[in-house]
Amino acid sequence: MRKKVLSLVSVLLILTMLLSACGGKTSAPAEETIKIGWIGSLTGDQAVWGTCESNTIKMLIEEVNAKGGILGKQVEGIYYDTKGDAAEAVNATKRLITQDGVVAILGPNASGQAISISAALEQYKVPDIATVATNPKVTVNDDGTVKGYNFRVCFIDPYQGAVAAGYAYDKLGLKNAAVLYDVASDYSQGFTEYFEKTFTEKGGKIVAKEGFKEGDVDFRPQLSKIKEANPDVILMPYYYKEVALSANQARELGIEATLMGGDGWPSDQLMTMAKDAIEGSYIVNHLDFNDPEVKPLQDAYKAKYNLSMELNGYMANDAFLLLQAAITAANSTDPVKITEALTQVSVEGVTGTIQLSEENHNPVGKQAAIVKIENGGYVFQEKYGVE
Amino acid sequence: MSGFLQQVVNGLSIGSVYALMAVGYSLVYSIMNFSNFAHGGVIMIGAYIGYFCLTLLNVPFFVAFLLSAIGSGLLAVSMERVVYRPLRKRNAPFLYFIISAMGASIFLENIVIASPIGPTFRTYPAIFSTTPIMLGNIALGRIDLLMFVISTVSLAALIYIIEKTKIGLSIRATSYNIKGSTLMGVNVDMVIFIIFAMGGILAGLAGMLFGMKYTVYPQIGNITTKSFIAAVFGGLGSLQGAVVGSILLGLIETMVSGYFSSQYRDLIAFALLIFVLVAKPTGLMGKNTEDKA
Repeated sequence: MRKKVLSLVSVLLILTMLLSACGGKTSAPAEETIKIGWIGSLTGDQAVWGTCESNTIKMLIEEVNAKGGILGKQVEGIYYDTKGDAAEAVNATKRLITQDGVVAILGPNASGQAISISAALEQYKVPDIATVATNPKVTVNDDGTVKGYNFRVCFIDPYQGAVAAGYAYDKLGLKNAAVLYDVASDYSQGFTEYFEKTFTEKGGKIVAKEGFKEGDVDFRPQLSKIKEANPDVILMPYYYKEVALSANQARELGIEATLMGGDGWPSDQLMTMAKDAIEGSYIVNHLDFNDPEVKPLQDAYKAKYNLSMELNGYMANDAFLLLQAAITAANSTDPVKITEALTQVSVEGVTGTIQLSEENHNPVGKQAAIVKIENGGYVFQEKYGVE
Repeated sequence: MSGFLQQVVNGLSIGSVYALMAVGYSLVYSIMNFSNFAHGGVIMIGAYIGYFCLTLLNVPFFVAFLLSAIGSGLLAVSMERVVYRPLRKRNAPFLYFIISAMGASIFLENIVIASPIGPTFRTYPAIFSTTPIMLGNIALGRIDLLMFVISTVSLAALIYIIEKTKIGLSIRATSYNIKGSTLMGVNVDMVIFIIFAMGGILAGLAGMLFGMKYTVYPQIGNITTKSFIAAVFGGLGSLQGAVVGSILLGLIETMVSGYFSSQYRDLIAFALLIFVLVAKPTGLMGKNTEDKA
């Protein structure tokens, strides 16, 4: 009896491991299809976003296939979970290219993962279009030269940081800023660096700058320090889970400063967790969620999955459209020809016109949307850009 | 000065959660001499039970607390039955216990991820307002106060049971010498059942408090690394040690973040712990089994 129980437990354990290992596999590929890979977080803190991206791409692929596919071929999506881990992202990329034979990869949404896969892309000469990876180094090397196979459809952290600083100082008239940031995140560091730079150049003062590490849940020691510096605005350049926790804790400590953040904020989860604490905050975002132009995509997604669309879905949509246009323009499924075509085409995406620069593989001339949080909703303020 | 007192309040509140979790490790270690790493999994399940009681069953807050404590207690006891008892009956080496505990912890985490509950994190409904109670310039969070009260009351109850009741006497006897106490008529199976039940109940309370304060997700159990270290710091096997170690760890972390740099928090806090352990390997209040054996 005891043996039976033991073997049952071990079988269950093995099953769980198998299940978690095989999460993203799809059925055996047929010939004559165009295979597109996607990587991102399907588990972990950022699972909400990864799930939305992969769902959106699945939906788009179905639509495209119903209309006859690309270049007359059916499209097949292959989705791998990176578990929010840079090393997993590299493994997933290699597996997509060498085992599954994809022509291009979409995602990931996080900068750390997008940066880590560059070498693999370079090695096998397959392009990747990142969705919301906003760190400058996703597409350029440390020496400023462009990476051959990394592209993106979003604007970059310096821009987000600069926009947040410009808007806070010029439009909101806030002169003293504090920053709480994630020291272990490239995204958070890049954002912070350029916020500080622009804010101090304009004449503002950074009165406190405190760090934490991803996975932390208590920010009161740092926030208590920030409270003593008495800032007008606190920049929170990180993802919604930490935003919700730190915003709640800031209010619990009696901090009344305006909160500001970036594209890491928008999420339905944020509203459920911290609706009151973030009331009146400002976010720098990629698009206005209430824009009539994004409505059809929102509705289709809602109808299919009965979930509301996250920011990542819109970016995944634009990344997919760009890739589709590039494959069509290249008139080939050769990854190198697709890579060349990516900077030649221009598409009307839901987040604006997407035309990638040849110098840095970033979209050209995208303005940010400033959104204010009012009564648990996102209220669009204006399109705002800085030089 | 108010800044310093605020940091003390922050530290105490963090430390009191560590304490609720840390005593679970100490309880098991005091009898079975191994670290039950599956404790984190029990805490996580406790947090989920509380969450679903409040959101799906809509039961009152204190009923949810009770159910979460009972559920976690049952889980801890059944884990002991399925995972540890077979090893115990075969007199397996302690290493096997630790490996099985780690396995059980990974199992619990993945079963939640694979289930319809899924990997996303969830938020407890707002039970208490985030408006703090102000004492001069010091903000006291309402949930923090509740955490502090529940931690204190349940730890006091636990220490009372261990020190003053007959069951407590057999637990203490077993912790000194399993064989000896068996000869004296102590039912060791019963003692182990009770320590797992008590550890599980506290884990349920800790999980629910933690979930209310922060959020619920399958990896919640990772936080127990800190409370495990606090338990070692205070002296594994000693309940009072676990509580003191946890409160100190909470305070040290907060003070390092507040007055030095939050980036060095873990570095400095843990360097200090290593220093304490080198100077006094049994921890601050650890029992010295050599003397009593």
